[in-house]
Amino acid sequence: MTTQMAHSIVRSFLRFPNSICSFKRASSTCTWFVHYSNNRNYTNFPFVQKINTRDRCSGINTWNRGSTVVFSTNYSSSSFSSNDVVCETVGGREYLMLTDEQLMSQCQMDTYKSSGPGGQHRNKRESSVRLKHLPTGIIAQAAEDRSQHKNRASALTRLRVLLALKMRNNVDLETYVPPPELVQILPAKSTLRVSDKGPQIGHNNPKFALGMQALLDLIFAVGGSVSDAAKKLGLSTGGLSRLILSDDSLRMAVNEFRASKGMKPLK
Amino acid sequence: MKSSSFTRASLSSILQPHFSLRSNPVRPISCSAASPKPRTPLYLRPPTFQSTLSELKKWHNWAKNQSTSVGSTFLNIDNGPDSTLLHRELNWLIEDALEKPTILSPPNHNNNYEAANAVSLRVCLDDLYELWKQRIEERRPFQYVVGCEHWRDLVLSVEEGVLIPRPETEIIVDLVDDVVKGNEELGNGLWADLGTGSGALAIGVARIFSGLGGCGRVVATDLSPVAVSVASYNVQRYNLQDRVEVRQGSWFDPLKDVEGDLSGFVSNPPYIPSEDINGLQAEVSKHEPRLALDGGTNGMNDLLHLCKGAASMLRAGGFFAFETNGETQSKFLVDYMDTKMKGSFHRMSIVSDFAGVQRFVTGYRA
Repeated sequence: MTTQMAHSIVRSFLRFPNSICSFKRASSTCTWFVHYSNNRNYTNFPFVQKINTRDRCSGINTWNRGSTVVFSTNYSSSSFSSNDVVCETVGGREYLMLTDEQLMSQCQMDTYKSSGPGGQHRNKRESSVRLKHLPTGIIAQAAEDRSQHKNRASALTRLRVLLALKMRNNVDLETYVPPPELVQILPAKSTLRVSDKGPQIGHNNPKFALGMQALLDLIFAVGGSVSDAAKKLGLSTGGLSRLILSDDSLRMAVNEFRASKGMKPLK
Repeated sequence: MKSSSFTRASLSSILQPHFSLRSNPVRPISCSAASPKPRTPLYLRPPTFQSTLSELKKWHNWAKNQSTSVGSTFLNIDNGPDSTLLHRELNWLIEDALEKPTILSPPNHNNNYEAANAVSLRVCLDDLYELWKQRIEERRPFQYVVGCEHWRDLVLSVEEGVLIPRPETEIIVDLVDDVVKGNEELGNGLWADLGTGSGALAIGVARIFSGLGGCGRVVATDLSPVAVSVASYNVQRYNLQDRVEVRQGSWFDPLKDVEGDLSGFVSNPPYIPSEDINGLQAEVSKHEPRLALDGGTNGMNDLLHLCKGAASMLRAGGFFAFETNGETQSKFLVDYMDTKMKGSFHRMSIVSDFAGVQRFVTGYRA
């Protein structure tokens, strides 16, 4: 019985766990539906408003008006295209600094397509969740779990990764000092790492996204040169390459940028 | 392969033959007054069965083919599951039935399993064939096949005779959460979940009370002895015996001793009009308890009974929330309570589910 209870505890978790699964599972097959949203998520966060007004690529500043309505219907349609999401913004890092609940409040959540009356009428474990981050238009989704709660958490984790990959912060190379979240994902070999920084954070850790974003900021700032970036980080070129190659989404983002500069992909 | 006859016998219970359901598909309630023993969900059973990886893969391929061959047939007949959903369910069955589900995951570089290696299962291989056959051929709900449903952050045991909790209903717990966070007194009071089924709402609400650290409690009632036993089992699994008491009986009948004392009640009563039941997808109409679905001619028999009961059961300021069939029923009930029960309730509202259906009616006793 003890092991049974342990099992059940492992499988239960709170409303907004930090990380349920890694980004790699994002490739699971899933079908996506846009239609309806859960307006519980439209809670006001004053400082979020502030980010919005600074966000040059958003175009959506009205998304959380009228947010005192909890559970009203259908905020679904948005005339906003999600394709053009790679843009410079000072708010990129700030999104990742938000707590899960705060980030959720910036998202429109769509669940399954409603066909018919729902409720007791149906038995379909369509617990898919699709999150649209309204300030940026970035969409993250999850369908592979049975519980909508877990899918919501997975989608949120993926959203963080996507924000890290697509939202760039400006870097001043003259005065560059790697932010602590970047130092945390560096291997122990880096001369910047000191013992009190704790162990290296791997890509299954929810904090990895923040470090990855800072790393991409730097690589973009140095025009895609791994050796230039490595110098700023106290690493050998090979050491930084290995770090980049260790994470699929990071590797693809770097290679995509290098390709756009006519550089060879890292392998 | 098969161990003792004892294990075999207990396993046959998850493979519950459907003869009884076939001959009388709508009456899950047993006549006996003895409390039935709830079945252990598949994922909590010990992995006492063995097979080889190659045999298991053979089963997996067979099951995948079965799912693929369904195509959109069920979808077209009665809005049932299509291949995509069945494939996903098959993965979940593997998660629950295997001690190490990843050995069947597609390209898996991390294992060096040989085809002849032993694999530990929570059910014997023959039964895995049988379970998936039941899923496809008899349209047995997946949740009954594995004996559980993931609902909110819970994994609840379910079996034939108990309504499988729906994702829409999860919102009622959030509604209660909002109410008690704004009113500490209500969160420390006595609540009721009427027609509790698996105990989902009672457990969800009780966990909110636990989180608040107050002394809020829930009485869960159900007419069905199967539901009472399954709900009690789920309450124990979440160690909420001190907060949730399960009582058998119809609606408010087992609550006579607390009349006028309830701080709140929640309910997902049967609300489907009788004539609609047979047209529902086979998983629901052929397998789920009619008692939990059929709300009479216009689906409102039980909802109206709950509205009337709410006036006498709730204390002044007490909160209620119940689920309905949608806009028509919700509007009718709000109008009914406003006019026919004038003065009894206030701050009534209709709340939509995440699909935009006006699903819930909430309010307070005046």
